[in-house]
Amino acid sequence: MKDIVIRTVCRVIVPFVQVYGLYVIFHGHLSPGGGFAGGAILGSSMVLFALSFHLEAGAQKLGHETSSYLESGGGIWYILIGLLGLALGSNFLTNRAAGLGFGLPGQLFSGGMIFLLSLGIGVKVASTMFTLFYNLSEEEGSGGDHQ
Amino acid sequence: MSLHLPVISIALLLLASFVMPLLRRGARAAALPFTLSVLGAVFTVSLYLIYLVESRGAFSYHVGGWPPPWGVELYIDHLAVYMMMVLSSICLVVMVYGARDLYHEIRAEVMSWYYTLYLLLLASMIGIALTNDLFTLFVFLEISTISACGIISIKKDRECIEASFKYLILSVLGSGCVLLGVAMIYMITGYLNYDFVAQELPQAIAEYPYNILMALSLFIVGFSVKSALFPLHIWLPDAHSSAPSPSSAVLSGLVIKIYAAAILRLLFRVFPAELFEVVPVLDILLFLSVLAVMAGSIFAMVQEDIKRMLAYSSIAQIGFVFMGIGLFGNRALLGGLVHIFNHALMKSMLFLAAGLIIYAAGIRNIRDLRGIGVRMPLTMGAFAIGAFSMVGIPGTNGFISKWHLALGALDLGRPFFVAIILLSSLLNGIYYLPIVINAFFGVKIEPRSEHRDVPGMMLVPVLILAAGVIFFGFYPGPILALLEQAIVL
Amino acid sequence: MEIISRLLENYYYFVSMVLFIIGIHTMLTHSNLIKKVIGMNIMDTSIFLFFVSIGYRRGGMAPIIQPGVEAEMYVNPLPSALILTGIVVAVSVTAYALSLIVELYKQYGTCCANEIAQIRAREES
Repeated sequence: MKDIVIRTVCRVIVPFVQVYGLYVIFHGHLSPGGGFAGGAILGSSMVLFALSFHLEAGAQKLGHETSSYLESGGGIWYILIGLLGLALGSNFLTNRAAGLGFGLPGQLFSGGMIFLLSLGIGVKVASTMFTLFYNLSEEEGSGGDHQ
Repeated sequence: MSLHLPVISIALLLLASFVMPLLRRGARAAALPFTLSVLGAVFTVSLYLIYLVESRGAFSYHVGGWPPPWGVELYIDHLAVYMMMVLSSICLVVMVYGARDLYHEIRAEVMSWYYTLYLLLLASMIGIALTNDLFTLFVFLEISTISACGIISIKKDRECIEASFKYLILSVLGSGCVLLGVAMIYMITGYLNYDFVAQELPQAIAEYPYNILMALSLFIVGFSVKSALFPLHIWLPDAHSSAPSPSSAVLSGLVIKIYAAAILRLLFRVFPAELFEVVPVLDILLFLSVLAVMAGSIFAMVQEDIKRMLAYSSIAQIGFVFMGIGLFGNRALLGGLVHIFNHALMKSMLFLAAGLIIYAAGIRNIRDLRGIGVRMPLTMGAFAIGAFSMVGIPGTNGFISKWHLALGALDLGRPFFVAIILLSSLLNGIYYLPIVINAFFGVKIEPRSEHRDVPGMMLVPVLILAAGVIFFGFYPGPILALLEQAIVL
Repeated sequence: MEIISRLLENYYYFVSMVLFIIGIHTMLTHSNLIKKVIGMNIMDTSIFLFFVSIGYRRGGMAPIIQPGVEAEMYVNPLPSALILTGIVVAVSVTAYALSLIVELYKQYGTCCANEIAQIRAREES
C-alpha cells in the first residue's frame, strides 16, 4: 500500500495513540483502564503502523525476537512481583499488607505494586497483539503458541 | 513458609512456562532438564502437601492477603492434594517419556513451545484442583482448554489441526456454559467464593429457583462437554488419537478427569444437598454414565487404530468416575475417585506403550500387532498389565476401583450397577485381551518396516507406570486412606 | 401480563439470552469455520453483556472514589473487572481458532467443515 494520505495520517496518529496507551496503563489504578486496555491500545498502534506501511517496516520497528522476549518478560515480571509479596513475608501478590509504599490517593504513584503489575501486563498484551498479528498475517504462521 | 507451597508451585510452573520461549539456540538444550526439574519439584511439593494436610488438616490460602469474599482463595483439602499428586506424578513420568518421543513427532523448532504448553496445562489443572473461587475456576478452565488444544495442534498434521479445532469449539461452548452458570450464581448470591455461595444458596432457592436450576444445568453441561461424558464425547476420539503420544497420555489420563473433579467439588460443596432430592441431577449423571460405560466399550470394539481404541475406552472409563459421583454414597464415591488415579496410571501407560509400538515398528493397526510381543516383550508385557487392569483382574489397580464402586452400589441397594460394572469388564475383555493374546501367541508376521530399537529413556517410564499399576493393585491402602478423608458427605 | 412487564423491566437479560442462543446456533450448525468463530464470539459477548448488566444500578456512579465527593450509589465494579478477564480469554481463544483455520485452509484449501469431511472421506476410501 502506498497511499500517501494514509501514511501521513498514520505517522501523525501513531505517537498520540501510543502516548494514550501508556497513559491508560499508568493510570490503571486511578481510572478505568489498566494493563490490558492500555496494552491493547499500544499493540494496535503498532499493528496500525504495520498495516499502513508494510509488514517489513513494522517488523523493523519491533523484531519478532524482541517481541517474543517482551511477551515472556511481561509474564515473568508479573510472577516475580507476585513473589515479592512472599519475600516481604506475606502472601502471594500481597500489596499494602506487605508494607509497600502508598502515596496520596489520586496521585500517580499511589497503588503500591498495582502500577508495576499494570506495566507488566501492558507490555505483555502489546507484544502479544503484535505477535498474533504477525503470525496470522505472514504466510508462516506458527499457530497455536499463545497463552 | 510451607503454607505458601501450593501457590508457589503454580507460580513456579507459570514462571517456567514463560521462561521456555526465552531459551534460544545454545540454551535450548537446557529446556528439557529444566522442565523435568520443575515437574519433579512440583511432585515433591505435592507429596509434602499430602503430609501437611494429613497432619494438620485442610487449610486455605488467601492470594494477595485479601480474606474471602473479597480475595481469591485457594482451598487445600484432601481432595485437592490428591488431585495435585495425581496430576504432577503422571505429568512427570509422561514428560520423561516425551523427552525422546517428541522429537520424531513434532518439529524441533516448536519443542520449547511444547514445554510451555505442557507446563501451562499442568499449572491450570492444579489451579482447578486448588481453587475455591468460581471465577478463578473459569480462568483456569480456559487456560487448560487452550493449552490442551495446543499440545494437539502442535503436531501440524491435518488430522491434528482438525481434531483440535473441533475440540476447541466444543470446549469453548463448555466454558461458555460454565461462565453463564457463574453469572447466574453471582446474580443471586453476590459471591463467587464457594463457601459463601454455599451459605447463601439454601435461602436463595426459595426466592429464585429457576436461576439455580439453570446454573446447575449449565455447570453439568459445561463440565460434561469438557470431560467427554457420553453424548457429548464426539470430540474425544479424534483429538486423543491424532495427538502425539505424550499428549494423548496426558489428555486421556488427566485432562478429562480434572473436570470431573471440578464438578464433584461444585456439586458437593456449593450446591445444597436438598436440591438433589428435588432435581434428579444425580440420576441423570448416573444414566449418562451407564450409557458412557456401555457405548464407549462398544465403540472401542470396532476400532482398528490402536490409539483410537484407547480413546474410546477412555469414554467408557470416565463413565465410572461419573458413576461414582452419581451414586452419591461414601463408598461409591471412593471408588469413583480412586478410579481417577487408577485410570490415569493405566491409560497413560497404555497410550505410552502404544506410542512405543508406533515409534519402534510403525504399526497403528490392531491387526498388524500379531506377534509383536516377541519383538518387544517388555512393552507388550506392560501393555498386557494395562489391559488386565482395564478388565479389572484382581492384583491390578483397575480391580480396586471397580470393587469399591460395586460395593458402593450394593451399599445403596442398587445391584443393577454391579451388573453394569461386570458387563463392562466383560466388554473390556473382549477388545483388550485379543490384542494381548495375538501379540504374544499370534502367528508371526514378518516385519514389514524397519524396526527401531526402543530407547531406555522411553521404556523406563512405561515400566514405572506398569509397576505402579501392580503396586497399587496390591497396596491401595495409602490412597484409599487419603480419599476416605477427602469424602465428607 | 406480569411476566411481560418483568421481561420489559429486565430486557437486557432477555437480549443477552437471545444472543447466547444465536451464538450457540451459529457455532453448532454452520459449516463455515469462520462463521463458527463468529458464533463463538457472539456467545461470549452475550455472556459478558449478561454479567456486566448484573452489576449495573440505575442512576449509579462510576465506582471511582474521589476525595471530597460522596456519591449515593455506585455501579458494582466487580462484574466489569471479571469480564475484562473474560474478554482477554475470548481474544486469545479467537486468535488461536483463527490460526487453526489458517492452517486448515492451507492443508485442505477450504474453510467449510463439510467439504473437509468429504475430502477426508475420499482419502480414506
